[in-house]
Amino acid sequence: MTGHRPNLKDGLPVRRGLVETPFDRHLRPFSLAEDWMPWAGFVSARRFETVEAEYFAIRNQATLFDISPMHKYAITGRDALAVVNRLVTRNAAKLGDNRVGYTVWCDEDGSVIDDGTLFRFSETEFQLCCQEPQYSWLHDIAWGFDVTIEDQSDTIAGLALQGPTSFAVLKEAGFDGVENLKPFGIMDVASGLKISRTGFTGDLGYELWVEASKADELWDRLWPAGQNYGLRPIGGEALDMARIEAGFIAARVDFQPIHDAQRPSRGRTPFELGLDWLVDFEKGHFNGRRALLEAQRRGPRTLLVGLEIEGHKPARDAFVYHGKKKEAGHVTSALWSPTCKRNLALAELRAPYGVSVKDDLWVEIYHPKEGKWEKVMAQAKIAERPFFKNKRRSATPPGLF
Amino acid sequence: MTQYDAIVIGAGHNGLAAAATLAGAGKKVVVLEKNGDPGGMAANSTVAPGYECPAMAHLLSNLDGAEIASLGLERHGFAYAATDLPTISLSSDGKHIVSDAKGVRYADGGALAGEAEFLTLRARLIRFADQLAALKRKPPPSLSGIDWREAASLGKLALGLRRMGKEDMREFLRVLLSNSYDTILDEIDDGPLAGAFALDSVLGGHVGPRSPGTVLTLMYRLANGGAKHQPRGGMGAVMRAFEKSAKSAGAEIRYGAAVERMVLSGDRVTGVVLADGTEISGARVLSSLDPKTTMVLAGVGNFDAEMIRRARHIRTKGCTAKVNLALSAAPVFTGLSDDLHRGRILHAPSLAVMEKAFNLAKYGELPTSPILEVTIPSLADPGLVDGDGHVLSAVVQYVPYSLKQGWADDSRNALGDVVVDCLDQFAPGLKAAVTARQVLSPADIEAQTGAPGGHWHHGEMIADQMLMLRPAPGIERYALPVEGLYLCGASTHPGGDVTGIPGCNAAKAALQVKLGRAAA
Ligand SMILES: Cc1cc2nc3c(=O)[nH]c(=O)nc-3n(C[C@H](O)[C@H](O)[C@H](O)COP(=O)(O)OP(=O)(O)OC[C@H]3O[C@@H](n4cnc5c(N)ncnc54)[C@H](O)[C@@H]3O)c2cc1C
Repeated sequence: MTGHRPNLKDGLPVRRGLVETPFDRHLRPFSLAEDWMPWAGFVSARRFETVEAEYFAIRNQATLFDISPMHKYAITGRDALAVVNRLVTRNAAKLGDNRVGYTVWCDEDGSVIDDGTLFRFSETEFQLCCQEPQYSWLHDIAWGFDVTIEDQSDTIAGLALQGPTSFAVLKEAGFDGVENLKPFGIMDVASGLKISRTGFTGDLGYELWVEASKADELWDRLWPAGQNYGLRPIGGEALDMARIEAGFIAARVDFQPIHDAQRPSRGRTPFELGLDWLVDFEKGHFNGRRALLEAQRRGPRTLLVGLEIEGHKPARDAFVYHGKKKEAGHVTSALWSPTCKRNLALAELRAPYGVSVKDDLWVEIYHPKEGKWEKVMAQAKIAERPFFKNKRRSATPPGLF
Repeated sequence: MTQYDAIVIGAGHNGLAAAATLAGAGKKVVVLEKNGDPGGMAANSTVAPGYECPAMAHLLSNLDGAEIASLGLERHGFAYAATDLPTISLSSDGKHIVSDAKGVRYADGGALAGEAEFLTLRARLIRFADQLAALKRKPPPSLSGIDWREAASLGKLALGLRRMGKEDMREFLRVLLSNSYDTILDEIDDGPLAGAFALDSVLGGHVGPRSPGTVLTLMYRLANGGAKHQPRGGMGAVMRAFEKSAKSAGAEIRYGAAVERMVLSGDRVTGVVLADGTEISGARVLSSLDPKTTMVLAGVGNFDAEMIRRARHIRTKGCTAKVNLALSAAPVFTGLSDDLHRGRILHAPSLAVMEKAFNLAKYGELPTSPILEVTIPSLADPGLVDGDGHVLSAVVQYVPYSLKQGWADDSRNALGDVVVDCLDQFAPGLKAAVTARQVLSPADIEAQTGAPGGHWHHGEMIADQMLMLRPAPGIERYALPVEGLYLCGASTHPGGDVTGIPGCNAAKAALQVKLGRAAA
């Protein structure tokens, strides 16, 4: 596939460099920007053309984002439910069959290792999708239990089909039954192909999980069906805008996955990420439970909050102050939201800021103006997440826009 | 159903010491032991009818006056048959070396070149060992949040080190994590004297004299000056004294009661279930088994994966076997006086030979020239044998747990032959006098005691698994994260040997913790 990329050392039997996903050959021709980024060892598009056009397609049309680089693990066997519940902080017993749940999992100190989506097909069959590699951690968690952990990162490819017309595209492609799929539902639509009503955009959307060998077949069915519905491929940057609007946090951006952190003090509990609702202390022991009980008693040391900031300069990487003077934290993600028409951010505040002291917050924004840096001190208010909400996300059957 | 305050798993001496301590504090205690007798690794066995022999452990060196007194062992029948045994290191040229508290010499009384250097080295290491003694008796200092009492005991150690003088302190820090091979051969020539001294640094471990950290292990063993004593009635009799101590304090002991799993309610242990299905409830469980086995019994799912991983990774490969002989007549070692036959007879010809023997064990082979610690306990304690015969007890170092050919009878016989042939060279006629033979491989020791790998200490005793790292970081203070659950056996600080300290310390730790109201 990559005959054009020479190996530095001739005859080296090992493949070097980034790897193409199974959809690469379909997507590559759309790349006018040639703006690529590495993602978990794969080549991934940052944008195909312009971020703006791709962003507006998410909110007005239908978009395809290649999520094949996501890490995917099958957890199957007699003790699969027990192992999954040992892993994650929420209660997988309460998740129905063929349902998907967002979750986090923690180390023994209660620090979040990663977040991701948990697919439950049955009590004995789960799949975990996440950003960070978890193969060895899953084996640590599973030791002593009767389960098999399979890394499917290379064998299952994925496409996120998101946007108001995404359902229409699926219908046009002839995927029957999708109209009944509720948010966070998952169904088998063909051999080797599953569709879940999930995504990072907070909009109507689906994720298609296909055996890598059947990726071409899927593309050939989907792409033509999308022609009348404005279907276009998008890169990670436009998706990132949508995910901030949707209020989702990103690993290594809004929190540091603890297994990847050199400094233990960078670990954050689910409470500190505002994910209290994901922690179920009633389900029995799970990894980090004792530390989390202690953390709950002690109260959060920091808190990740949504901010709405005056003006329209994105507060990227900005410091947050209390009373304009006292440093209170920093912004982790930010954008001017074209859809909400609000200047939005996620920020990590140090307690008591964000916890008991919530007013008089200011953000110091630096922005370049043709070779010169300017700064403004903009007032910020803690705002509810998700910032972007739309009824079409959850209507079942979904609308045909 | 009876509700106990504490259930102790295992009637090894540590389980019994824990039970005696808890019962002595007014707790209602039951000890559950899978075997029919107390003692675990320190029980007696009957090699042949009328021939009682310490099954595994045979010599006391670290059973301290404090434990003997607090458990009232003497009142319950504990006594020595012989104290301060001389150590005899056999030499193939017949020039056996004797060492005792007084010094070292040839067995024929002749003076030994290098005596002064050896005595200086030994005295220095004993001085260092004295500094560590305080650390050894107490629960290890905790890594998470040092309180002032610990700070005080660490401070005392620091002060003690300072008092030794600059030169000693520098030397202490230099050798602390060093290996016994370098430390010993820096001072004396390799040979039976060096071998005998080094044996204590490796005995019971999966380490050679060249393994890092063996000097620390040696200092640990020298904490009581390194003296070895023979208990009367074999080690099994000591165990009977531990048993009586526990019983007289009010503890109940059930034999043939193998614990199959524990019962938890929420995050608290509430009892155990035996192999026969019997359920026993108790507010605390003290397990003298190793951390991994204990956590499996309590349910892996009740511990964080990191803790399980630490427990899984504790090195527990046993490397010590036991050969016990029934003899029709007392063996006669050429060149040894009658008195010396009652000593601790070693076959440790040199550090080089020992390191080679370790190499064989590392690769799963049987020893060709066995490293031995032998006693003939019936000489000082005729009561062990009905009639005129004798029993010989041989600890065989460097016998692999994972023997390449597997541990079946032919391997056991091969090991028995190697040991008997070796001894016969030094005590001609010994082989012919053997009327019965018992060979316990590390795998057999595991099967009998439940100790993983059949390991003497239930887990390697080397620097990275000692003190606050023993048995693993986070559980160094006997308590496991499940409320009411404790470790009380050799796997915990200060490790194996017959000391009773882990059992007593664990019981004290358990008594310090107020349980939740529901548990009372
Ligand atoms: C060959 C050999 C020679 C040794 N020689 C010496 C020596 O000369 N001097 C010395 O000081 N030390 C010696 N030791 C070491 C010493 O014997 C041990 O370190 C010490 O006896 C350990 O005591 P313990 O009570 O912690 O454990 P153990 O003695 O191992 O006792 C554990 C007990 O738990 C029981 N058990 C296991 N599983 C279960 C279950 N599921 N339910 C109920 N009960 C269970 C076992 O049957 C056993 O009785 C020797 C060890 C070996 C192997």
